[in-house]
Amino acid sequence: MKKMLYHLFPALILLALPAVAVADTSVDSTSLVRFFQDSRPNFTEKDFIPATQFLGVDVNKLGDGNLSLHLYGWGRADLADKSYNNDQADGSLTYGYAQYRFNQANGMIRLGRFFINEGIINEQVDGLGVHTDLPLGFEFTAFGGATVHSVDMPGERTDGKGDGIAGGRLNYRYAGIFEVGVSGVYESNAPVLTADQPLATGVAFGSHRLLGGDVWLSPHPMVEARGHSSYNTETEEFAEHSYLLNLRPHQDLVLTGEFNDYRDRSVFYSSILFSSLLTNLNDKSRTAGGRATYQLSKTVELSGDFKRYSREIGKSDRFGGDVRFTMLNNSLRTGLGYHYLRSSPEFAIIATATSSGSFHQVRGYVLHDTKSYLAALDAIGYFFKQDINSRSNAWEVITSLGYHLTPALTLSGDVSYGMNPQFDDDLKGLIRLTYNATYTGKGGPK
Amino acid sequence: MKSSTLIFPILAMAGLIISLAACAQLKALPSLPPWHPEALEAGRVSCTECHEKLSTFNHTTAFVKDHRFYASSDNRNCAICHKSSFCNDCHTNQVEMKPSIKLGNRPDREMPHRGDFTTLHKIEGKLDPASCRRCHGRANNERCIICHR
Repeated sequence: MKKMLYHLFPALILLALPAVAVADTSVDSTSLVRFFQDSRPNFTEKDFIPATQFLGVDVNKLGDGNLSLHLYGWGRADLADKSYNNDQADGSLTYGYAQYRFNQANGMIRLGRFFINEGIINEQVDGLGVHTDLPLGFEFTAFGGATVHSVDMPGERTDGKGDGIAGGRLNYRYAGIFEVGVSGVYESNAPVLTADQPLATGVAFGSHRLLGGDVWLSPHPMVEARGHSSYNTETEEFAEHSYLLNLRPHQDLVLTGEFNDYRDRSVFYSSILFSSLLTNLNDKSRTAGGRATYQLSKTVELSGDFKRYSREIGKSDRFGGDVRFTMLNNSLRTGLGYHYLRSSPEFAIIATATSSGSFHQVRGYVLHDTKSYLAALDAIGYFFKQDINSRSNAWEVITSLGYHLTPALTLSGDVSYGMNPQFDDDLKGLIRLTYNATYTGKGGPK
Repeated sequence: MKSSTLIFPILAMAGLIISLAACAQLKALPSLPPWHPEALEAGRVSCTECHEKLSTFNHTTAFVKDHRFYASSDNRNCAICHKSSFCNDCHTNQVEMKPSIKLGNRPDREMPHRGDFTTLHKIEGKLDPASCRRCHGRANNERCIICHR
């Protein structure tokens, strides 16, 4: 499959080239060459120089002006030791589809590989997707095709996904006040595990089939609630409830409340990885929290947040705040943040009655991006309440310098250095060439 | 087939019937523009500078942190300004590197797993595994299974 992709991706780009010449086209390219070393006692020293190319091509206004082609993917070649798996090269077609937009009713047809994110649906599909608005405030979305398989699990000859997938969403919006939707995804039967290394007894694993509902409600411009619930038709219980409440008592102040509730057996049912990782699938998880964001001025934004994590094994709280500055006509962006995770012993890496998973997190960054150059400094540190591998902290500093050769072409380089429980000296570097032909347009440099 | 799964074809059929019945009236319904008519400056945008009623979509820290809620029901609004590849810097099926490495020259962008997340994930994974599952449950787990066999 990978070999096919190696040929398919450049072939698709070559096929698109004639159209590029006559249509409204944008190209986004990021070329990276990274340098790092793995040197640990009792292990062979390895030098890594992976060269990675990310490439996106969007060809718009084809045919009658409503047809477009969209491609995005990456490829990597290791110029020294193999950086990751047993392959000296690797690659992936993230998406590649033709899209036709109708001039009315937000009608849209997609054909190819694409992502779909609607209601409770969040899938990558090789197939067909359609959307249209309907009279009286209804909208309809549907998709179907083949699942996009990823890497096989160890001991298996499968990634745990069925081969076919379909789904859709039907929603109704009333006068900008509320919206309700129902959505579902149905994947063909999950593969039978070959069980060279069988999952533990009692592990729940099966087909990916969910039904759900979503809601958006804004009875007043200052109040908004939205969220969704999903139901696993295989386990016959709710998998997830996830809801958000936004209050805007002042145009510069946003108060947010969030609530999430999960049934682990149903959330992780179609994932081999998590089905085998979690020891207690009867567990329930719940997070609840809030955030206040205040735009103090055009240049300063303050944010404070709190979240409580409740699982049957224990409880934890995370709280902190961030401040962001945007100055010099947006060319200077900087920020500071602090958060503390107050964790019960059960969440420590090795849980004992006296252990702790608590830590402080501190981050600061500054970015100066002018018409001619960019310079960035980013520092992040984690300070553990209890040592991990005899270290009380993990920190990393990244510096980046770049020069805008043209408004669309930028050459930059990063150097990062850090110390952490994994490595005493973690020094890495990279060279980056970025080409973004739609520099001030859609997508842009954001 | 379980009785509960019968609802999938029923929903699909209902949607199809409604779609066909409404086709004749679709020409009266306007479409959103394919992309934003004005070029937007770099960094986080404030939609209310021009669109008084779109305060919800102002890219505040709250919006960025909670963007999954908006993307699931308003993704056509997102697509007016953002290409799909903007989302795929983080959300993809087979990730090659941490987004914060690819975009190390953009510390102002919200990125997951900054710093030594190799250590941190041993705590965060116990804390809120459902948040891991969204991206790594059925994809992007090639690196997970190196250790978690």
